[in-house]
Amino acid sequence: MDDNKAPTPAELTILIAGAVMLVASFLTFAEKTNAWGTYLFPIATLLPLYGTVMALEIGLTKFAGVKLPERVVGFTMEQVHLVVGLLAGFMAIGWLVTDISKKGIGFWLEVLGGLALAAGGVILQRERHTGAIG
Amino acid sequence: MNKKLSPANIVILAAGAVMLIASFLSFYELSILGHGVSFTAWSGADGFGIFGVATVVVLCGVVMAAQVGVDTFAAGVDIPDKPLGLTWDQVHLALGFQATFMMIAFLIRSNGPLDFGIGFWLMLLSSIALLVGAIMRTNEAGSKPRAV
Repeated sequence: MDDNKAPTPAELTILIAGAVMLVASFLTFAEKTNAWGTYLFPIATLLPLYGTVMALEIGLTKFAGVKLPERVVGFTMEQVHLVVGLLAGFMAIGWLVTDISKKGIGFWLEVLGGLALAAGGVILQRERHTGAIG
Repeated sequence: MNKKLSPANIVILAAGAVMLIASFLSFYELSILGHGVSFTAWSGADGFGIFGVATVVVLCGVVMAAQVGVDTFAAGVDIPDKPLGLTWDQVHLALGFQATFMMIAFLIRSNGPLDFGIGFWLMLLSSIALLVGAIMRTNEAGSKPRAV
């Protein structure tokens, strides 16, 4: 593998979290329902959706050499990762304190994934020297 | 001296206030044999995931309105120009988008025996207003430079 294609810790965090969240969305989230099931779709599907979008951006640009626009609605790609990651973390905390009963393995993986996305988005700022953190 | 509110900031301030008030009104209503029960964004609904999740929407609106309120009316209070490297216009855009996206998700979600209450509809409308206000802010900033 080419050196410059080796993912950084933040990129790896986002890639793994996104993949885990996509898989976890098909596992039990609450009761016997997954994130795509009745009463949960699409509100519980937002977390895996955010994770998949972030992981796809990293995967496509890092490994497939796809050129994506440098800015999306005025946000740089690093800012997109920061914002989407923090919003995912915010939602993960929301789900953590909510009152749904019988939380399944999918639920816990989604919450952990959301927090990992937030961490990945923040660390990415430091790795890419955006000046946003520190 | 206090600053003058721009149209975008008026929209955000009003929508944030409506969002906060609406969060204490019924989000879902349940009627069993003529007996009605209601759930707010803060009270939870026995497994329907309102408290915590819908509360994220409320907090988005409150943060947006609070930033506008503090920046406009609290001249002595210093707020960072670029939190985490983002301009406040970007923060408003992100939070407005998140609030609208989540309320639309609640709208689409199958409710089972629950009906939407007045609090839900006001929260949906105010989240859309927050996004519109955020877009208006961005457009205003495009026509003249702005620090916050």
